[in-house]
Amino acid sequence: MDSLILDAVSVLSTAGWLFIVSAGLTLVFGAMRLINVAHGSFYMLGGFLMTSLAASSAGIRFWWALALATLVVAVLGALLEVTILRRIYQKDHLVQLVATFAMMLIIADVAKTIWGSRARTVDAPAAVDGTLTVGGASFPTYRLVIIAAAVLVAVALWVMLTKTALGWRTRAAVEDPELLSSSGTNLTLLRTGTFALGAALAAFAGAVVSPQLAVAPGSDTSIIVAAFIVTVIGGLGSIPGAAIGALVIGLAQTIGTSVAPSWAATSIYLAMILVLAVRPSGLLGVAER
Amino acid sequence: MTGSVRDVDLATPRRRRVANLVGPVALLVAMVVAGGVLPATDVFTLRLVVVYALFALATNLLIGYGGLVSFGQAAFFGAGAYTIALGWLHWETSFWLTLVLAPFIGGLLALVVGAIALRTRRLYFALLTLAFSQLFYVVANAGYEFTKGADGVFGAIVPEFLRGRNPGNGYLFILAVASLAALALWKVTASPFGLVLRATRENRERMEALGVNVYAHQLMTFVISGFFCALAGALYVVAAGSATVELLDWGQSGHAVYMTVIGGMYVFLGPALGALAYTFGVDYVTQSGLGHWQLFLGLALLGMVIFRPDGLAGLLSPATWSGWVAKLRGRADRGSEPEGRR
Amino acid sequence: MTTLLAARGLTRRFGAFTAVDGVDLSVTEGSIHSIIGPNGAGKTTLFRLLTGLLRPTAGTLELAGVSIAGKRVHQIAQRGLAQSFQRTTIFPRLTARESVQAAIVAREHRSFDVLSWFHRGATAEADELLAKVGLDGLGDHGSQDLSHGDQRALDVALALAVKPRLLLLDEPTAGMSDSESRKIIDLIGLLARDEGLTVLFSEHDMDMVFGISETITVLHQGRVIADGPAEQVRADDEVMSVYLGEVVEGGR
Repeated sequence: MDSLILDAVSVLSTAGWLFIVSAGLTLVFGAMRLINVAHGSFYMLGGFLMTSLAASSAGIRFWWALALATLVVAVLGALLEVTILRRIYQKDHLVQLVATFAMMLIIADVAKTIWGSRARTVDAPAAVDGTLTVGGASFPTYRLVIIAAAVLVAVALWVMLTKTALGWRTRAAVEDPELLSSSGTNLTLLRTGTFALGAALAAFAGAVVSPQLAVAPGSDTSIIVAAFIVTVIGGLGSIPGAAIGALVIGLAQTIGTSVAPSWAATSIYLAMILVLAVRPSGLLGVAER
Repeated sequence: MTGSVRDVDLATPRRRRVANLVGPVALLVAMVVAGGVLPATDVFTLRLVVVYALFALATNLLIGYGGLVSFGQAAFFGAGAYTIALGWLHWETSFWLTLVLAPFIGGLLALVVGAIALRTRRLYFALLTLAFSQLFYVVANAGYEFTKGADGVFGAIVPEFLRGRNPGNGYLFILAVASLAALALWKVTASPFGLVLRATRENRERMEALGVNVYAHQLMTFVISGFFCALAGALYVVAAGSATVELLDWGQSGHAVYMTVIGGMYVFLGPALGALAYTFGVDYVTQSGLGHWQLFLGLALLGMVIFRPDGLAGLLSPATWSGWVAKLRGRADRGSEPEGRR
Repeated sequence: MTTLLAARGLTRRFGAFTAVDGVDLSVTEGSIHSIIGPNGAGKTTLFRLLTGLLRPTAGTLELAGVSIAGKRVHQIAQRGLAQSFQRTTIFPRLTARESVQAAIVAREHRSFDVLSWFHRGATAEADELLAKVGLDGLGDHGSQDLSHGDQRALDVALALAVKPRLLLLDEPTAGMSDSESRKIIDLIGLLARDEGLTVLFSEHDMDMVFGISETITVLHQGRVIADGPAEQVRADDEVMSVYLGEVVEGGR
């Protein structure tokens, strides 16, 4: 029973932050048909910014830093969208992959210059920095914070996309851009906003996770691969798909680690290959144009 | 726009075909001469350049000619390298045997990977091939007993006369093998198969409707690419004297893609040019103490892909030159006109 | 007079919606047959069933007496069915000549040939075909640089290159000016007679249809409401009201 609880918490918290990152990636792809390799960079920046802003473990400071880190990266995302990404919307996937990969390289270099090459960590605020014991199992309290954050994001996204005008406009942008722009929606602004939101989600994930996972150069590439796998399993463009994908990967990761630790990493790639072999567009994929 | 991107016309008249030969032959001669003339460190780098050039050329069969963006070719590159390295390590197999074996193992692996991956399209395909590359990387890492994992395989893997303090022999050997391989790859593009490949890239459905089994055709392309990527990997062992797991990960696959993009996807030797620029470029930046090679690479890639989708080869093509010459001439003419006319 | 294409009770459902409902179709070899019907009548779905892009939910489909229902696109194409597409789909970065050469390579089952120079040998035939569709001398032009009408002609050349028995044309004059449409329709008629091709095309433009078709099938809401020689269909009252009535209202 104990290990079951431990595993469940582990799966849910891993799936949690994976979901937040992947939701951003899949949202941008779904709304703008843009695959952004630099999405992982936003995650990394969120983490790095946290290490700079939340210098001490004073409770309030931490949460403010979280918000600020997210905001800063969102603005950066908007800037990048306006200057660079606008030029590659209608181009084919290779161009998008290479251009956003190039962005990732540039950001990685800048980050290295600012924050150096060593791994950095943040202390969680004292209030949630402890261990919780449920049944006979003990785990870091902060795991629950991550799970809560993921649930919050899921609910907020669901509300935004289904209940608000902004939401249906974003969804409509996928289906019929011409109709949307003729109905008076500022498509350009919508795109910038969507991309900024995607960046914000990535940064939020990176910031939220920073007390648990150290940030270092290389976080960008490892997270983007994980995010790719999650979104592809769920189907590019589908946020519920991202949730499912995150759970699948969280499970694969946890099971893999307990069964055969040194081979655990293979499980996530095998999961992706298996899913795509059976359903070439992912579980809930949006059909490509 | 930078002008419509077009392939080099295959049905060229004899005179032009001979003229087309001059470039590659001159390049080959230059490469051979460079091997004898340049300092040893540069020749070491050149060995790697040629290896990467073959890797990029083989990858471009998929990307440029086939329109199939694969981020997983490192899997085959690494497979080729490890065929030689592990053959030497575990069974003391003859280098020559493993050299011949390597591309076939790559091709076989490509058959398996391609059979699965080609059922997906476009972005899913790119990401799935990336996953395969990573899978092999992770497996190689974990299987320490067999592959020596992150430590890599080092040692006297390659016959004496190809090693040695004088990198010249190894260089000529690599150049010879790579040139023959490049010739074979070129023939593949300049064949009925190659024409169908390009047509399929342009319009898959149309080719299906003309009676071509596109899935099978793309699978064959994938296998051919895997075959030559593995050969490049085998040559890597000759060039570097080692095999490491990093040869398998998607970063390595990415290298092939950038070299292709930088050099130019639509001209056969474009990727080779990209390999040259990329390898020496990174070398220069790291050695000159400028650091920030990622920054430069990123900016170069970004600029290329947005402003010059034809790559360096496009920059050097006759069409571009005559365009610039015309512009310059126009400016010169305007300058010589009397003020009043303007 | 043999029947080249025969469909019996051909049906295609998408969930609760029936796009094609029990269609019987019979196309005689060497004839020009057209399918007409208002938008949403099921013409495009029917064509996709014939070419293999869609599998029938029910019914039979035979080409030259051999069942092709449920077969894949390239398999049906190899049996002699060629199509020219509604949205002109060409090979943008290939030249006109290369495009036709590629089609010839496909026809000769040389797609997997990496060793020969066969494709270069096909130059003469390619140029001949280009001339036949009125693209004489445009062989070296990039396909994407051709005018819309010329691209459509190239598309027809591609279809011809595979020496088909049956040529399917889905709304060949869509999006074209009157003069371009005339040219294409004349071309089709010429080819049918010269090559002994069987042509099946769907059209919206009534004048074009009646000018050239020998037999006509009229579709309405997925069902056949009239079928027979052109003059007979033209005089059919139901057709008049359902289809021509619509057209008259549209101010044609």
